[in-house]
Amino acid sequence: MSTSERVAEVTVPAVAERRQPKRRRFAQNWWRHAVALIALVFALFPVAYVLSAAFNGDNSLSGSSLIPRHVTFDNFRTLFVGQKNTTGHATFQNAHYASWFANSMIVAGATALLTVLLGALAAYAFSRFRFRGRRLGMLTLLLIHMFPQLLAVLAIYLIVLNVGDIFHFIGLNTLSALVLVYLGGAMGVNTWLMKGFFDTIPSELDESARVDGATPAQVFWGVVLPLAAPVLAVIALISFVATLNEFVIASVVLETQHKFTLPVGLWQYIDQKYSEHWGPFAAGVLIAAVPAALLFAFLQRYIVQGLTQGAVKG
Amino acid sequence: MSAFSGTVGLALKIAFLSIVNALGIWAAVVLIDHHKWRAVAVLAAATAGLDAIYLVKRWTLPLKFLIPGTIFLLAFHVVPVAYTVNVAFTNYSTGHILSKSEAIAGIKVNSLTEVENGKAYTIAPARDKGGHFLLVLRDDSGATFIGTKDGLRPIPRSDVTVSDGAITAARGYRVLKGTELGSLDKELSTFTVPLGGDKAIQPQGFDTAVVLAPTLRYDPKADGFVRLKDGVLFKDNNRGSFVAANGEELEPGWKTYVGTRNFSRIAHSSLIRDPFLKVFVWTLVFASLVVFISFALGLLLAITLNKPGLSFQRTYRALLVIPFAVPAFLSLLVWQGLLNDDFGVVNRLFHTSIPWLFDPNWARVSVILVSVWLVTLPLLLVAVAPLMIASFAFNFNNFGNIYLLTGGGPALGNSPVAGATDILISYTYKIAFAAGKGQDYGLASALAIIIFFVVATISAVSFTRTKALENLA
Amino acid sequence: MKVGRRLAILLAVVLAASLTLIGGRATPAAHASAKAAKLTIWVDNVQKPAVDKIASAWGTRRGVDVNVTFHAFGSIRDDLKTVKTENAPDVIVAAHDWTGDLAANGLVAPLFPTKAIKKQFPAYALNAFSYGGKLYGAPYALENVGLVVNTRLVKVPTTFAQFEKEALAFKHKSADNIALAVPQGSGGDAYHMYPFFSGLGGFVFGSGKNGALNPNKIGVANKTFLKNAPLIDKWNREGLINSKVDYGTGKNAWLKQKAAFWITGPWETDALKASGIPFRIIQLPKIKFRSVPFLGVQGMMVTKFAAAHGVASLAKDLVANEMMKPSFQLDLEQANLRYPANIVAGKRVSDPVLKQFGKAGIGGVPMPNIPQMGSVWAELGGAWVKATKGPGATPARVAFATAARNIAAKIAGG
Repeated sequence: MSTSERVAEVTVPAVAERRQPKRRRFAQNWWRHAVALIALVFALFPVAYVLSAAFNGDNSLSGSSLIPRHVTFDNFRTLFVGQKNTTGHATFQNAHYASWFANSMIVAGATALLTVLLGALAAYAFSRFRFRGRRLGMLTLLLIHMFPQLLAVLAIYLIVLNVGDIFHFIGLNTLSALVLVYLGGAMGVNTWLMKGFFDTIPSELDESARVDGATPAQVFWGVVLPLAAPVLAVIALISFVATLNEFVIASVVLETQHKFTLPVGLWQYIDQKYSEHWGPFAAGVLIAAVPAALLFAFLQRYIVQGLTQGAVKG
Repeated sequence: MSAFSGTVGLALKIAFLSIVNALGIWAAVVLIDHHKWRAVAVLAAATAGLDAIYLVKRWTLPLKFLIPGTIFLLAFHVVPVAYTVNVAFTNYSTGHILSKSEAIAGIKVNSLTEVENGKAYTIAPARDKGGHFLLVLRDDSGATFIGTKDGLRPIPRSDVTVSDGAITAARGYRVLKGTELGSLDKELSTFTVPLGGDKAIQPQGFDTAVVLAPTLRYDPKADGFVRLKDGVLFKDNNRGSFVAANGEELEPGWKTYVGTRNFSRIAHSSLIRDPFLKVFVWTLVFASLVVFISFALGLLLAITLNKPGLSFQRTYRALLVIPFAVPAFLSLLVWQGLLNDDFGVVNRLFHTSIPWLFDPNWARVSVILVSVWLVTLPLLLVAVAPLMIASFAFNFNNFGNIYLLTGGGPALGNSPVAGATDILISYTYKIAFAAGKGQDYGLASALAIIIFFVVATISAVSFTRTKALENLA
Repeated sequence: MKVGRRLAILLAVVLAASLTLIGGRATPAAHASAKAAKLTIWVDNVQKPAVDKIASAWGTRRGVDVNVTFHAFGSIRDDLKTVKTENAPDVIVAAHDWTGDLAANGLVAPLFPTKAIKKQFPAYALNAFSYGGKLYGAPYALENVGLVVNTRLVKVPTTFAQFEKEALAFKHKSADNIALAVPQGSGGDAYHMYPFFSGLGGFVFGSGKNGALNPNKIGVANKTFLKNAPLIDKWNREGLINSKVDYGTGKNAWLKQKAAFWITGPWETDALKASGIPFRIIQLPKIKFRSVPFLGVQGMMVTKFAAAHGVASLAKDLVANEMMKPSFQLDLEQANLRYPANIVAGKRVSDPVLKQFGKAGIGGVPMPNIPQMGSVWAELGGAWVKATKGPGATPARVAFATAARNIAAKIAGG
């Protein structure tokens, strides 16, 4: 359920770059830059306020001025060192940001990897084999995620609660339980997306491998997966970011400070109505966005490489 | 491919199956320890099934690839759905979460009431020479007593030592003190000193006791409670409550199956029925427009940026992704501030005074605008039929966006609950969790099922209209 | 055969692996015949140090293991409904408006503190934790809003007319000045608006016999209030109250001295002190009636699980006795910056800001603690929003009469 919530993206490739004189290129492309700049303003406008709040001392969000009057790093210090109220008591016993961060990386990393794996396995079956119930299976995958999640959280809590009574290592307040729950969403829209891409990989490649004596498993691991790198990268990125930002389930499964993920931990800064600490919250969100941005930068090469085929055909 | 030669592949497969089986056997042993027999049976069947799938050669081939993800899908998606369906046929709601026996016990406790003009006592738990547990008591006038299971017996004041308002010693008895008290609870919390009639002295902690009497008595034969002062009978109404003839109801009630009552409530409640069509139409408009606009914008951006050799291309893409990395709920809260019509940045910037969140129609525009922002800009989209349908379904049930941005509002004059931007799911939330007597999970589940059928039907129909399924032939 | 050989290998490996696992399996925890009683308390971050301190000292005296567990405040109420008896708390911190919900669900046990202890608490604090005539919680802290006045910009008003004059005069000094920073926003905020509501004769629920609130007696559009409601239209016309001011806007305006009056509560103590602005906190001057705020009361409750755990007496001793004492209440006051519920402790409060907020709350009305209150918030807040949104506002009589009708429909039909 995590990845399907954020609708997947697919970029169209930049094929080969044709060399043109710079000036002429710009003359031709000025409208493209204009569109891009408008899009950037629209996209980054609210983010700018998050940035401003992170460096602002007055704990407000979307305050009156975008540029903070007193630029301060106090909010970042609060995350790692702690914060005191006027009577000198620490408002959070310890600053737990580092462990929230580590937990989030573990959970998001594991979920992204396993989601890609489970999704790809299913997509391969749907793409390459012809079997009874195939159409129905794919349709079901899509429809089942349409069931409103309003009460599912309660059910998930009860499942983890009961299982955890017997198997403590996947009970409440464990990262492993959280990952398992997230994997419930591994098969969904992802599978459709990957299947669409797998369909574009010529089946002659499989067949020639099969003629060489490879088993279906070997074809999957050795032929299809490497060729599907771009779609795997996209799914991994989406799953990683969606997991990183998931709040509702994590807040139900995790119970103590040193087990919290970033959204659950940071939420505490703003969960008391009227006494929100937007400053440290925004600072925490900013730092948390770094891994996702890095991951994107790292995967961009694969993502841009060539998803059109899979995407357009669907 | 050489990495997965026949032998390595086989070894990996055997290792994988071994781990699965070993875990299965281990889990079975743990479950047997806990006497969870049904779980053991399910586990054994599942493990055997897995072995069969991976050891049999041909016909299970697709299953070998489908099973891993399916297990998680079943456990964390299908089971919760089944749970919701089950809840839809119960009265699970505020006041109805206990079992019947717990509810009866709760009513008994709640019915204990301080007797009018009843005394309060300072007490000290003590033992007599035979080791029998009893209470040393002192009332406000200073009179002292020994309280046992048989009743209250006065003793001379001089027998009791009082210091600082607390009883510290009593002649002939050993007063229990300090850490002894910690292990005394089982004896003390059920200990009462009868005073005749229904009245009894009941300790409240270790220092004080009050005179309490029940106002209700449970009659197992009639399966109901009798109110002692007027003899009114509260009978099980088969919907999880003890109710008197005049409709008065005892709390707490209990959770029980109520058949299709939640569904018939939906059909008969004017709160739900009257605005349903209006909310439904808006839900459709909202979800379709968000999907359509965001895909159109995504496509436009993709085309714009895909010019080979466009300078700053990578920079643009990288920057456009940033909002995606910020949690959606934070973005929504920021937007809410930006759209405030007198003080928000948007109106100040453009020197407009558009009531973004206050006017029903503008609020609808705002909700669409912000949802488009959340969907499109994260990444550049290219239209894919299944994705569009999934995105439609997601926005159809996009509780978070509506709830955080407008809360469904602004209110429409003629409907008690539905606001201008309420979609079906946010409306369900309001009906089931912010109306009546608090949370009504039963009703919410019934509504969720109905919504599911609506969105699934729409999606299935649009599927048949697209080429998506043809590719599956 | 090939398959036969595979099976043989598999079986051997499985056997070996499962034997290792079973061998290394921890023996199931022997159901400890719990010698020393154990008491579990759920508290949130803010109160934890103070509860830790008092509970562990008490535990040592009583010979009890006290397990003070952190639990996010917002999830305590709902988690109590699903938690298993083994893991359930015996004592929780609670907001008073959970009382009806938890008691109706049969999750908390009634308390009977002695008269001597009860005398140390204002009646409304105890009422706040009462449901159906029974007390379910030991109050320890009060919070309420007050009118924060920037004394550099305006005089501290003693009558409502004075307040109105000062606020409007200040507003007219500059185009971006706000007469009164009272938060509403598009969703409305019935909590912060309550002093105006009570000052005009409004109330939410009337009470029946034995003081219990009656969800069918809705006072949102009672006759007295409707008679006075045109004042709201006047305030709207002159710009005294504007529903477009939301929390952030109002706070910023006051801190930047673009508003001289601010309605807020003790959660802003830090911001007030840090602002460097000279201020006084008072109760909003009487309109037609005393303009009292809503009161929020925090307290401790004993759950039904304490009896199942065999610690019912211990839990009652801790909550209805130890925690109602002034010393504990003062410890909590230090930790969470709220005015203590205990009167004796209240007299010892030294923080000037808290003291003033405490005074501003005198005579306040606890937020109704019956579950039906859930049907009220949005409607009551919405009526204020509609009636004070500037030009084009709904006449107050209409807005509040509609709200009252909607509330009744929601309570009946939900």
